[in-house]
Amino acid sequence: MDKTLVATVEDHRIALLAALAITIHIAESALPTPLPGIKPGLANIITIATLCLYGLRTAAWVLMLRVLAGSLLLGTFLSPTFALSFSGAVAALLVLSVARLTPGLGFGAVGYSLLAAMAHMAGQFTVAYWLFIPHPALLQLFPVLMTAAVLFGLVSGIIVATMLKHFR
Amino acid sequence: MTSSLLTRSDWLLLIASVALLPWLYGSFWGSTGGMGEEVHIMVDGRELPPISLSKDQTLTIQGSIGPSVLEVANHGIRFISSPCQGKQCIHSGWHTHAGEFAACLPNRVALLITGRESRYDTFNY
Amino acid sequence: MAADPATRYPGLDDGARPLRRPARALPLLLVLLLFVGGCSREELHHAQLFSFGTLVDISLWGASSTQAEHAERIIQEELQTMHRAWHPWLPGPLTETNRRLQTGSWFDCPPELLPLIMQAKRLYELSDGLFNPAIGKLVALWGFHSDVPPQGPPPEPAAIQQLLNQHPGMDDIAIDGKRLRSRNPAVQLDLGAFAKGYAVDRIIGRLERMGIKNAIINAGGDLRAIGRHGKRPWRIGIRNPRGPGVLASVELSGDESVFTSGDYERFYEYEGKRYHHIIDPRTGHPAAGVTSVTVIHDNAAEADAAATALFVAGPDGWYPVARKLGIKYVMLVDDKGGIHMNPAMAERIRFEITDRPEIIYSKPL
Repeated sequence: MDKTLVATVEDHRIALLAALAITIHIAESALPTPLPGIKPGLANIITIATLCLYGLRTAAWVLMLRVLAGSLLLGTFLSPTFALSFSGAVAALLVLSVARLTPGLGFGAVGYSLLAAMAHMAGQFTVAYWLFIPHPALLQLFPVLMTAAVLFGLVSGIIVATMLKHFR
Repeated sequence: MTSSLLTRSDWLLLIASVALLPWLYGSFWGSTGGMGEEVHIMVDGRELPPISLSKDQTLTIQGSIGPSVLEVANHGIRFISSPCQGKQCIHSGWHTHAGEFAACLPNRVALLITGRESRYDTFNY
Repeated sequence: MAADPATRYPGLDDGARPLRRPARALPLLLVLLLFVGGCSREELHHAQLFSFGTLVDISLWGASSTQAEHAERIIQEELQTMHRAWHPWLPGPLTETNRRLQTGSWFDCPPELLPLIMQAKRLYELSDGLFNPAIGKLVALWGFHSDVPPQGPPPEPAAIQQLLNQHPGMDDIAIDGKRLRSRNPAVQLDLGAFAKGYAVDRIIGRLERMGIKNAIINAGGDLRAIGRHGKRPWRIGIRNPRGPGVLASVELSGDESVFTSGDYERFYEYEGKRYHHIIDPRTGHPAAGVTSVTVIHDNAAEADAAATALFVAGPDGWYPVARKLGIKYVMLVDDKGGIHMNPAMAERIRFEITDRPEIIYSKPL
């Protein structure tokens, strides 16, 4: 029997989307941040667009590949930065799964984007605070980070919704 | 105009998220008045894990000439006994504010208080 | 005409259009972002050293990490050198000088002591003898000349009177170029009320020559600050001399020193009475009536001496001494908790305690 790996259409799709997400992620990592943890999260546009176009499973793959390959390319694999990225992604995925799989919630791109951004930020912050810097000063950062998450989640969500409007 | 971009649930979520923010600021930014929240104790240059000032307790720290006993109460800390001769550490009294530092020099035990807000850069006494 | 999207982007053959190819500007944008990301921020550097017999707290603003570390090393070395040179009882230049002063003959003054002694003489005159570092014998009699604090009892009145009768004063020291002589064998120098301030001045001078413009040097609670904390002034908390917490705060920007003399720094208790180390040269006993004196002044050496002199002067006598010494901001806490200040100080001070103490305003300084 033929034991070679055959890439399916879906595999190609995931690879392409993940590549896009990684590129944006890397470009974003060069941005100076006023505070650690505040980044526009533009790569999430890819994740949410994927979710809306191709479903939860594809989006999950794209997100995890982005986190994994992104960290390998940036040289942060298995570092604390990776732990933060990873936990943020896992948190976002959990929330998105609940949102997507629960019937009748009726979220659109903006809703998913908001949920993902907030969950991602909250997940990252929790790991940062408990595992790395249990310092009271860090707690002051939390509301600012969540404000950024809501803001960027909204903006990303609107971008995705606009894009989808033009595709469909 | 752009209402077709957001579903009804999206709008509800957005409003709820934005409404959540002031509450977050209130909880996490509550003013501490510059009071200390944790104390970092150093023995002979080595730092011990920070200790919260919110729990009343007594600590015995082994310094280079003997044990220094510290008391944490009312969000402050002070030396109550120390093997040094001069007892300056005990004389320095209660330390309550973020940024305050005190030490028993002969015993090489020092402490620094930290907190969310540092109201003062340093202290005169 | 563009090729069929379906063949150019395999995997998107379910009819969705591909995302637009990123513009050629993206690489340029990437480069720009990386460049901007390389800029670093200025910040506060904070360090603590054990030196000069006390805890020295250093804050630096606007210096790079390498500059800050270098400065901290230099400060530690300088402090150690000065501490050894001016130590009141461990063998060194000061003990040697004290020995030679007793002989009454001319001798070469160690260079590290000469400027101190000259300035001490000047301040002795200006304070009408209330700041008098020549009473080393009296300070030793009370037991404050060792690491081991006295246990009591206090010295015999006769012993105190005998030393008082000899009137040691800075005016007994004659200076001729680099040589010194004492006309009074009772003169023994104790620079405790002054050396710390002088050391702080030296350190600040060193930092300024290194190009550091914003710093606080706090030696055991007495400090001099230059510049600001970034965009805001330095905020100093003045500790409550009787009790926990902060009594008042003051903001410093520019170049100012804040020095406090208190009865709680070095003392012992014997049979219920407290004996502290600030001896009144007129009575030979620890100065009475005052808990603490806080002074704001430009240079630290004068601030140090003034805080001592004003403590000795007491609640009734501090005003003329402050005028003569050129001090512009004084806050004296008497032993009943009353606070005496001049109007300018009242304006700068912000009380941080909930119940307002009794404030006694003097005439303007």
